[in-house]
Amino acid sequence: MTDDARTIRGRATAVLNAGQALRAASTTERAVWLADAAAALNRHAGQAGPTLSEATGLSAPMVDWASRTTLDTIREDTLLALARTASRESEPPSAPIAMMAVVLAGNVFTASVRGILVPLLLGVPVLVKASSKELAFPAMLKDALRRSNANLGASVDIVAFPGGDVECETALVERAAAVSVYGSDETVAAMASRVGHGSIIPHGHGVSVAYCGAEALGGKQRSDTIANLALDICAYDQRGCLSPQLVFIEAATERSARDFAAGLAEEGLEPMNRTLPRGPLPASIGAEQAQWRGVAEVEGTLIRGTSYGLAIRSAQAIRWSPGYRNVTIVPVRTIDGAFDAIEPIGASLKCVGTDPASISNVSARLAESRPLQAYACALGSMQTPAVDAPADGFPIWHGLLRPSKTARGVTAKRR
Amino acid sequence: MSRRSDLKGRIESMIAHFDGGGEVDPALRDRLIEDLATWQASRIPEYGRLQLQGDWPAALPTDVFRFRRIAAHAKEDDVRVFSSSGTTSSDRSVHAYGDLSLYDLAARAAASRMLFPDVAQIRLVMLAPHEKEALDSSLEYMLTRFGEWFGSECTWAWRHAKLDLDRLTAVLSRAEVAGEPIALLGTSFAFVHAEDGLGQRRFGLAPGSRVMQTGGYKGRSREVDSDLLLEAISDRYGIATPFIINEFGATELSSQLYETTLREAIHPPVGPRRLWVPPWVRATPVDPDTLRPVEGDKVGILRIDDTANLDSVCCIQTADLAKRVEDGIVVLGRAAGATPRGCSLAADQALGAR
Repeated sequence: MTDDARTIRGRATAVLNAGQALRAASTTERAVWLADAAAALNRHAGQAGPTLSEATGLSAPMVDWASRTTLDTIREDTLLALARTASRESEPPSAPIAMMAVVLAGNVFTASVRGILVPLLLGVPVLVKASSKELAFPAMLKDALRRSNANLGASVDIVAFPGGDVECETALVERAAAVSVYGSDETVAAMASRVGHGSIIPHGHGVSVAYCGAEALGGKQRSDTIANLALDICAYDQRGCLSPQLVFIEAATERSARDFAAGLAEEGLEPMNRTLPRGPLPASIGAEQAQWRGVAEVEGTLIRGTSYGLAIRSAQAIRWSPGYRNVTIVPVRTIDGAFDAIEPIGASLKCVGTDPASISNVSARLAESRPLQAYACALGSMQTPAVDAPADGFPIWHGLLRPSKTARGVTAKRR
Repeated sequence: MSRRSDLKGRIESMIAHFDGGGEVDPALRDRLIEDLATWQASRIPEYGRLQLQGDWPAALPTDVFRFRRIAAHAKEDDVRVFSSSGTTSSDRSVHAYGDLSLYDLAARAAASRMLFPDVAQIRLVMLAPHEKEALDSSLEYMLTRFGEWFGSECTWAWRHAKLDLDRLTAVLSRAEVAGEPIALLGTSFAFVHAEDGLGQRRFGLAPGSRVMQTGGYKGRSREVDSDLLLEAISDRYGIATPFIINEFGATELSSQLYETTLREAIHPPVGPRRLWVPPWVRATPVDPDTLRPVEGDKVGILRIDDTANLDSVCCIQTADLAKRVEDGIVVLGRAAGATPRGCSLAADQALGAR
């Protein structure tokens, strides 16, 4: 499906016009409709597993897991809590913007859920440019919204066109008060050139890491740490910006780091490949994988499994992997070693997954850090952010509300 | 006799035997690859760390040449160090040679067979710099040797880091008038520069004229689809497309692979356009997970076992996607920072800037 500029303009107008009815409903009504739509889609997504699997390149069990865990976060209570927080923190009193355009990326298909539902919750209609690689899920989401409530359904539409088509990009954004862009930094820059940087809400390049304190590596916690880490690594085949690329472990010796990595491989990643198998490896990624694994083997230690690779390397010799379950384990003596290594990542660091004993320390370190804007979360939940989890250092409602009368200079608070 | 001398002797005889018109037994080549790998693993610690890949010796990824010196000889014994193009040192592969005699032997034998199967000498026009202008380039080294071995006359049309269009036009016009065949050798981006600079000028070069182009663009010119460039070159110089061939080489290799069409136009039967693999080389598309050969004509990543790589590593894992076509190989392109890794690019740059 490819739309031309005329079609896109027509849909933009229709969505914009539907905004009035959407805003006329109460927040509670919108939350109920959205929760109903999510529940309905959750039921339907299971049946559409093969289609989604083919469209996304993820295995059918992974598609099922991803749909379920994402849609489960969309409940009436969580949505209402989010709306209350947004209202409370958006001082002075704010009103929803007239319309948002959302540009979706293709790497994590469920990113469309928060990207579309949060604006609708706050009364903002949405025109979505779906990734050319993945149209199926946004279309199912739109259908579920339409079935839940006609006004809600009219407030969202989907368009598709090849990236770089200036006429279509202009048509997408010209009536939008803000444009939320998921994708590469190049995509973000291209869209910014159409609308100006002030109206862009960028979700560009990003990586995430995990940190495991010494306590989490042994005793009773070891098996939980391994299970949770394995899930974070395998979720979405490590294709998302919330996927851990590096796992810092507080290990006194290299030997203990190797032992933990061996445990992660045998007890975590190997079984995970049976329950949530990796999707087919694209040839170009395979070529990168072979290079990354070979370099890891030459320069450090590599544990190679059925569909994963674990490199054990020092913080001074990190090389980014192509994803697809290829992870670097970095032994550090203390949390300081981990933060020394990640601070240069700056705003590109999205999330730090960590064990229960370390989470308050990691959160405090992130709050203190000037260059980092990432948030901390529990291991095992890196890829299943709560509906109100921040995005790129900003609240998820950033850009959706504008001061209704005065003080137009005030913007959403960071974190 | 030292182990190295013994191995070198076996490689020399294999290439010389082929160059003299003989057939090379693949089993002999495979044994030589095994022996080379064993010796090299004992001399080069980085290579020795790699695990066996099934019953084949491990293949060293080309990326390792970017980060480590890969040589079985001491640095003070280097006679030449080739490096690939790139903007930073970590982008550049480095291949140190203590001895270029096998490189020369392999390059000459392969070019004689595939690029000059019908002529001992020919007028050469290089769309590339002379080696004096690019001492660290293996391509320029090879082309300079070609000038010595195969050139009845040799004109270097790429000088001072740019294409000398006047010189190129003059030499082509002279060849056109003389009705003498000519061989144009150079990089793909140089041919694109020529396309952009020559405007409406067309040449009708004599039958037997030929083109060898090599390498990617690396941001040094606009990128042109390979089929379109083939047509454009044919149209520009009046050379039939079978006489326009690609050479596949790499800094990490000592041997080159050539497309088959020129030789097959001269010595039929004619098959599909594909890369010919010299018999002292084993080129195999492998599965990226298992690193074992893929079945049939499935796309894999190209592993090249080049016996002429005596003093570095013979078994090389490239990042090129390739498939088998009849008795040859078709390279489908290089994996270039595909999408998921693109997600990490900004961070990669941040770490690189530390």
